[in-house]
Parts: sequence; C-alpha cells; structure tokens
Amino acid sequence: MNRIEKHPVLDKTEHNTVRFNFDGKEMEGFENEPVSSALFANGVKEFSIHKKGNAPQGIFCANGQCSQCTVIINGSPLKSCVTPLKEGMDIRTLIHLPELPETDMKDFEQKTETLKTDVLIVGGGPSGLTSALELAKLGFKIIIVEDKDKLGGKLLLQTHKFFGSQEDSYAGMRGFEIAALLESQIKENENITVLYESSAVGIYKDQKAGVYKNNGKFSLIEFDGMVISAGAREKSLVFPGNDLPGVYGAGAFQTLVNRDLIKASDKVFIVGSGNVGLIGAYHALQANIGVVGICDILDKVSGYKVHSDKIQRMGVPLYLKTTVLAADGKDKLERITVAEVDKNWQPILETARTYEVDTLLIAAGLSPVDEFYKSAKKFGFKVIKAGDADEIAEASSAMFGGRIAGLTMAKELGRKIEIDKAYYEKAEILKSKPGKVYEPNKVVVKEYFTPVFQCIQDIPCNPCTTVCPKNCITLDNKLGNILDIPLYSNDECIGCGLCVAICPGLAISLVKQVEESFAEVMLPHEFLLDFVPGDKIPVTDISGKTLEDAEVLSSRFNKKYKTHLITVKMSLANAHKAIGIRVQDPKITEPAKETYLDFLPDDGIVCRCERVTVKEIVDFIKEYHVRDVNQLKQIRVGMGACGSKTCSILLPRIFAQAGVDYSEVTPGTIRPLTVEVPMSSLINEDGEK
Amino acid sequence: MKNYDILIIGAGSVGLPLSYYLSRKGKKVAVLDKRPSYGRGQNRAAIGGIRATHSDPAKIKIGQMSIEIVKEIEKNEGIAVDWIEGGYLYPVYDDEKEKALKSLLEVQKSYGLNIDWIDAPKVIELVPGITEEGLRGGTFSPGDGSASPLKVAGAFFKLSKTAGTEFIFNEKVVSMEMDGDKIYKVITDKEEYSADLIINAAGGYGKEIGEMCGLDLPVVPDSHEAGITEPVKHFFKPMVVDLRSDNQSANFYYYQNYEGQIVFCVTPEPKLYGVDCDNTSEFLPLAVRRILTLHPKLKNIRIRKTWRGLYPMTPDGFPIVGKTKKVSNIFLAVGMCGQGFMLGPGLGKIISEIIVDGSKEYDFILDQLSLYRKFEGNELLK
Repeated sequence: MNRIEKHPVLDKTEHNTVRFNFDGKEMEGFENEPVSSALFANGVKEFSIHKKGNAPQGIFCANGQCSQCTVIINGSPLKSCVTPLKEGMDIRTLIHLPELPETDMKDFEQKTETLKTDVLIVGGGPSGLTSALELAKLGFKIIIVEDKDKLGGKLLLQTHKFFGSQEDSYAGMRGFEIAALLESQIKENENITVLYESSAVGIYKDQKAGVYKNNGKFSLIEFDGMVISAGAREKSLVFPGNDLPGVYGAGAFQTLVNRDLIKASDKVFIVGSGNVGLIGAYHALQANIGVVGICDILDKVSGYKVHSDKIQRMGVPLYLKTTVLAADGKDKLERITVAEVDKNWQPILETARTYEVDTLLIAAGLSPVDEFYKSAKKFGFKVIKAGDADEIAEASSAMFGGRIAGLTMAKELGRKIEIDKAYYEKAEILKSKPGKVYEPNKVVVKEYFTPVFQCIQDIPCNPCTTVCPKNCITLDNKLGNILDIPLYSNDECIGCGLCVAICPGLAISLVKQVEESFAEVMLPHEFLLDFVPGDKIPVTDISGKTLEDAEVLSSRFNKKYKTHLITVKMSLANAHKAIGIRVQDPKITEPAKETYLDFLPDDGIVCRCERVTVKEIVDFIKEYHVRDVNQLKQIRVGMGACGSKTCSILLPRIFAQAGVDYSEVTPGTIRPLTVEVPMSSLINEDGEK
Repeated sequence: MKNYDILIIGAGSVGLPLSYYLSRKGKKVAVLDKRPSYGRGQNRAAIGGIRATHSDPAKIKIGQMSIEIVKEIEKNEGIAVDWIEGGYLYPVYDDEKEKALKSLLEVQKSYGLNIDWIDAPKVIELVPGITEEGLRGGTFSPGDGSASPLKVAGAFFKLSKTAGTEFIFNEKVVSMEMDGDKIYKVITDKEEYSADLIINAAGGYGKEIGEMCGLDLPVVPDSHEAGITEPVKHFFKPMVVDLRSDNQSANFYYYQNYEGQIVFCVTPEPKLYGVDCDNTSEFLPLAVRRILTLHPKLKNIRIRKTWRGLYPMTPDGFPIVGKTKKVSNIFLAVGMCGQGFMLGPGLGKIISEIIVDGSKEYDFILDQLSLYRKFEGNELLK
C-alpha cells in the first residue's frame, strides 16, 4: 500500500478499513477518504481514458475543480477527489463518455431551499475564517460555504511552520494547527453557520447565490454582502505529455501526501521555484519521497531564500533558467526532459537531459479565484475579496487581510467602525515578496551557546524575536518592520533552543566552542531520526555544501514546534557555517543515461477537459483571425467540465505564439455554473424529507 | 468614408450566411458588428435545432433550404457542423394538444412535409425513459435535426471571408444620415460607411437599427433561458418539444447534441421582455422541474452551464423580410422570433437571389413576411 506509515510532523489517525472494487479487482481503503486517495494508495493513477486520442488521464487538482479525476462510481461519473469512499463501492475507469446514470425515479417535487444571511463568505480558508470571526464579533449573521469537510483551506495541507508574526498570524505554528484553532473558534460562534462540502456555483442577478452540496442538494442563499475568499487555482503548464497521469499540481500533491497521508510517488521532479514548489519538495522529503530536482525558467528563485536554502541543504538540486521540455511514458509518467533556456526563453537543446520520475509537480504559480467577485461587482452587490482571491500571497497575509476584509464589509453594511490605519500597513508588509539579500553577519563563536542566523533576506517573519525568553533577539531595524532580518542583540543566550525550534526557515543554529578547535552546534531537524548519538551525519552550510560528517552528541524533540534539536560536534572552523543535515542521497538526483527528445513541442495540452493542443489552437487562431476567446469554443476550448478554469490562464501565451497581442483579445465569457450540478440536487423525491 | 455594394449590420445567424451568398455572387460586402466576433449576439445562445416542419409556406421553404445548406457544408465544404438528423418530436399528453397538433398535421402534410403522428410506444422507442403515464403519442418529423450554432457560424464566417466579405467587429452603429429616402451614411463609433444597400440583420437590436433611419419595426425581444449538461453516450436523437405550460413557463425543448450533451431551453411565462441576458436564480429549479417531469431518466445527469438568449419577437411570431416603402436602400431581415439559427442559412441564400439576381421565385415569402402585413395571425409552432 502506498501509505505514509510514519511522518515527522503528522500523526496517523484511526480509520475503518473498507473494501471496494476497481475494474473488478478487490481493493481496500479507508472509509470516507476521497476515492482518489484510496486509488492512489492502491497504486492506481489512471482514472479515465479520454475519447480524444484514447489518452489515459490521472488526477490534476485534487480539489474538486478540474474533473480530470472522474471515475464511474456505482454507475455514475463522479469526481473521485471529492467522493468519500464507502464499503462495497463499485469503481470503474471512465472510458470515453459515460452511460447516462440509471435511475428508477417516479414521483418528485421540485423544491429549492432558500437560506438568508447577512454576509455570505465563499471559502473557509485563512482569509474567509478570519473575516467571518471579525464580522460575527460585530453581530452579523454569517454563512460560510466551504467545499471540503473541514475548515482551513490550504492551511490543512501545510505541515511547515508559518512565517509572519506570532501576534498577527500565528507565526511558528504549522498550517494544519492554525486551521484547527480557527475551526474551533468558528464552531463556538453562534453567529456563524458553516455549509461543509458545499460549493458556490453561481451568483445571480436577484442577489442570491446558488450553492451545491457534494452529491446532495442545491440551495439558494440570499445575502446582503459577500466576502469572496475562494483562494486560488494552480496554473497549468504546457508541454508535450502534460496530461499524462503523474503530472499534476503541487497543491494536489500536498493534498495526497499531507492531508491523506498517501505516499503518492517514489521520485518526483518539481517545476517552479515559488514557495509552493519549494515547500512541496520539503513535504515530499518528509514523506520519504525522493526529490530529483526543482527547476525554474527564471534566473532566480521566486520563493523565500530560506525555503530554497533549506531544500538544497536536504540534497535537492535547484536548476534555474531551466524548463521542462516534455513528459513521457506509456499510460503514465515515466520520464521528463528538461533543458536550460537562452535569454529569449528558448530551450538550448544541447543542455537537455532526462530524469526518470513517476511524478512531475507543476508549481507554476497561482491565479485568484475571483469570478464570483467579478459577477457580484457587475450586479452591484456589496462584495469584498480577500486572501488569494484578492492577491496571491502567503497564508499569514491572508489571515490578516481577512480581518480587514471583514471589517470593511461591516462598514459597507453601514456599521460605524474605524479600521486602524496600522492594519493596512501590516497587511502590505505581510504580502511582501522576498526582498533584499544581505551578507551574513560576522559570527564570534563563544564558550557558551549563541545563535547564528542564516536568515539573510528581507521577508515578513519575526517569531524568533518573540519566542526568546531572554529577549536576546531583535530585528536589525533597517526597514523598521517585520521584514527586517534578526540580530543577536543582547548577549544573554541560555541555549534553550526555542529560536532554533520555532524558526520557519530552519535558519537558526546555536554554536559554542568546546575544545580548542571544536564546537557544538544545535541544528533544527524536521525528519524522522535515522541516526543515534555517536553516528556521523553530513552537516551542510546554508546552500547545501557538505561541510563535514559531524558526530551526533544528542537530540531532543520540541513538542510544541514538532522539531528535533540535534546537537553535533564539529570543527570550530565550520561551526558557524553549519545549518542543516543532508537527508537525501545525491544518487537519486542523477539524470538518465539517455536523453529523451522524441516529441513535438506543440503537442502540449492547453484545454485539459477537451484535450485541445497548442497546435490546434494556434492554427485556429490564425485561420479564423481569432480576437475573441469565445471563438475558441468552436474547437471546444473551455467547453469542458471545468468551464475554462485551467486553460483561460494559459491563453495569453498561446495567442502570443499565434502572433496576436492578447491586449487586443476579448476574454471568454464566464457563466454559471462553476461546478456541475446534478438535476437530482434540485428535487425531493417521494417520501423524502 | 468607406463604400461597399452591400453593408450588413449584424454578424449573426442571419448576417453570416447572407454575407457569404452575396459575396459569392460578386458583391463587395461588409459586415458590421458591435461585438468582438461573429455569432456573439443570439447565435451563441441558440441551442441548435433546425426544422422545416413549420406551419406556413415561407418558413417551410426557408427551413427546407437551411437543412439542405447545413448538410452541404459538411458534405461539400468538409467543415464539421455536427449535423444530426434526429427529427423533431412533439410528445402529447392531453386531448387539447393532440387535437391541435393533429389538425396542424393536416396543414403541414398539405405542404408536402415529412411529418406524421406516431403512437406512444414509438415515442418511447425514440426517447427512452420519457414519461409514459398519459402519453398519447406525438408528431414526428424525421428529416429535421440539429447542428452546432457555434460551428455553423464559424463555417459561414470562414466561407464568407474566403468569398471576399470584409468583417468589421467591435464597431457599433450609432446613427444614420439620410439623403431623402436613402441612407447616405452609416455612422459607427469609429467610422463612417456608405453602401448601395444596407441590410438590417441586427437580431435583438433590429428595432434600434430601424429607428436610426426612421423605421418603426415591431420587434420586441424577450429573453429565454437555456442550459447544457455534461456529455453522456448517445441515447436519443430527436429534438423533443414539450408544448405544455405551467405557472412559470410555456413550452420547453431539448435534445442530445453531437458531443452527447443534453441542451435545453425553456420559454418563461410571463415573458421576460428586454435585452437583459443576466442569469437569475429562478431558471435552474424551473428547468429541472420541466425536464424531469417529461424525462425522469435524466435525474442524475449534471448540468454544466446555463445562459439566456433573446427572441426578437414580432406581433404574429413571423420574421420581417424585405424592402421598405419609406427607405429605399434598406433590406430587412429581422424579427426571427428565436429562429434565426434555423432560418438564417436558407434566408441568406434566398435574400441573395432576390437582391442580386432579382429572383421572383420567392415573392410568396416576401409577401408573407412583409413589414406591411397586418400582423394579425399567430404562429402555431413558435
């Protein structure tokens, strides 16, 4: 079974085991886990065969949005990622079009429930939850529509410690812990109703929203105001083989690995060096999945330096100015080919190399889910967007921004309140992109523990300053806000290691000289321990260069921050540079002997639902002089189940390839429904309540 | 000022084929549309039915030609338009409708149409899962069918452009300048145009265009709502029309398109007058009630999208086609009453023959669809 039995950060929870059938084969899974995860656990990665090109299809978003994971469950085509597994389910590969699902319905009545609320919040992630709490505090009645069975959104997938500040955004806590904390606050609040496993599917001109509960009922919600905190969706990338099972989003990977504890892969490659890609690599390593490499077409890392440093220390190579040329494999991903690009972003084929991997994660960035905001705005409703739906940033910023969104909505609804100006400044700071990189401070190793900071880039983060019991750590005050980098400013360190344990970047060590040419170094470690005192382990510097094999003296586990503090003995000369322990064997990162170059660049899939390629779209744009995205519907682009959520973001580049400036192009029209809704959800059958 | 032989206002269901046939006959033709591309007015909202089985000579002729033309595009031009010859089926559940349709049948047969009454088992065979209780049978016209409005529009755009038509998008006609009884200038928000003949094929906005040259055209749009499901394997072929009404709707109709998706459209009652095409929350529950009442087997299918489109209605439910007494160089092709997609191809060909060849063959159509008729009758099969 491809399950994660032991994880350094996550605890295994108890499940009932149930039996089900897949294509006639008996399998076992956990009751109520998503069918997609149960299939992955059983090694099944092909979910359907597309009618165009007989192409096998696997999971892509694992988030109920794209429908690529559709399988036939008890006769009905259903998205496996949002269908809970039950005993005895008959699950089959969807081959081409499904049959019309059978029914024996006789009598029914059409009845749609209409709920009323002051504020409808779409999305129970970090920003939605904090805005709900602010509004509820002011006495507003709130309905939160959340498409999962738990609150927290992407927080639930985040097993790493948070940046930001302890005061404003729970810095140092892990995402899933913050989610649980917020969910308990929401549940206690009687002004807030949560509709779980429910998606907003349309905003209507008569100031109502349509809401669909998974495999359940469709209802309408009447509201005075709306907060759109629907998060973001992952951008797809276009290259040949990009729809092979095994090529999917980093978010889907986090869902499988961190939420459902599925060992989704043995060897993974990641494209995109933003925080999502970097953290994805870290999560993979924690789940004992090999990370062959990360590439980014840009010439510098897009995410936080502390993240990329951390990944490289663990033994993951980072290839900049490098892009994925193709993915290949029979029925599922077996290999990818990457190459460096020149200054015009064109691949340099001489640099091409192939890696044998079973999974390629696409972490090419996010785009806001703001279509509800746009329709609500168009209709003149009181609406505010928050979190990623407003602007892509860290969850720490989303939580703070959500509070402002809540207060702003209260004002819009006529409540006389003042919003502290400092809030807006803080919100801006939390949204900051990674900033300036400094030279490390000169370190003097003393005979008692003092901290060394390998945190040398301006990012919004300061929990080390608030956790230190002796107030030894301050920020260097160059900018005068939490973007500043930390300093050891008060020489009273007692060697407690709290700063080492809390640092989300794992960028703080403690050092002390023990003999003339030796030192003890305390390092953070978020992996299962595979060594004991006396063992020698490879200790690296900030960028992953192995300094020496150092002897482990002791280890202790900080429960609150779920981090091991490992003390090693190493040479004094290296001690101040030591910051990490390599966990991955470099062999896994080697390329294959033969480079795979047998592909056509324009065979990449743009519209995943209908499998429309770059070439088909470019040819059509030229032939039909297309200047309106709606024209592409003629070749099925955007007509599939996802309703152009995935392909619309890719189109500017495709138009450019066809020689058309996208600013001359009219965007596609978005209509309800944003998620498909079965007719049965709008009726009550005879005898049903 | 740009000059053309013929300037068509509206690149929609009517304007597109019309421009093709006119260009093919050697005319210098331009098509103006305020929208960013072709077929973005009501063509994009059409669900795709094309039938010849109307109840009057003009529309029967036009419909027959439309079917021929659409089939030919696939056969002769090699452009896929997803034609399905699945027929039109009007299932009947009450005495009144049975009588009405049977008496209409006499008229339709007298025009030589291929339509007949079929009994309940035959209806069930054609539409598996249709409600059997109270089913009396229905009328069925096997030669009718459906095609993709998107693809038909795209095909005519391509053919017309190749034939020499100039398409001008994103330009809205704002006024016209008259010289006596002649339109001297058509002024858009960007340019000025003149033409020997101007054709009003502006669909939902035909009345507005008419007003610019002093014509009062009795065309009032009202909005209908439609939807489409996920695709499933084909299991029925006809366009099914339920003529019954309930407290929120008049008739409704649906079929399974080439892709396997069920496409449906409901006529709201009372009418939603105006050009507002924004969705309201009332449609989905209504549509589901109508569909499942007639066809409960569809219960578990998922609805993908819904939209609204306009029916530019005339008082008697028939289009307005022809020249006017007041303005000498305008030709009207407006008031399609929601049938622009199915009438467009035939009408385009006919109008081109009237205008360019001076054909008299279609005088009966011009008489019947004249702006100066009394608008007293009432279309039986709207």
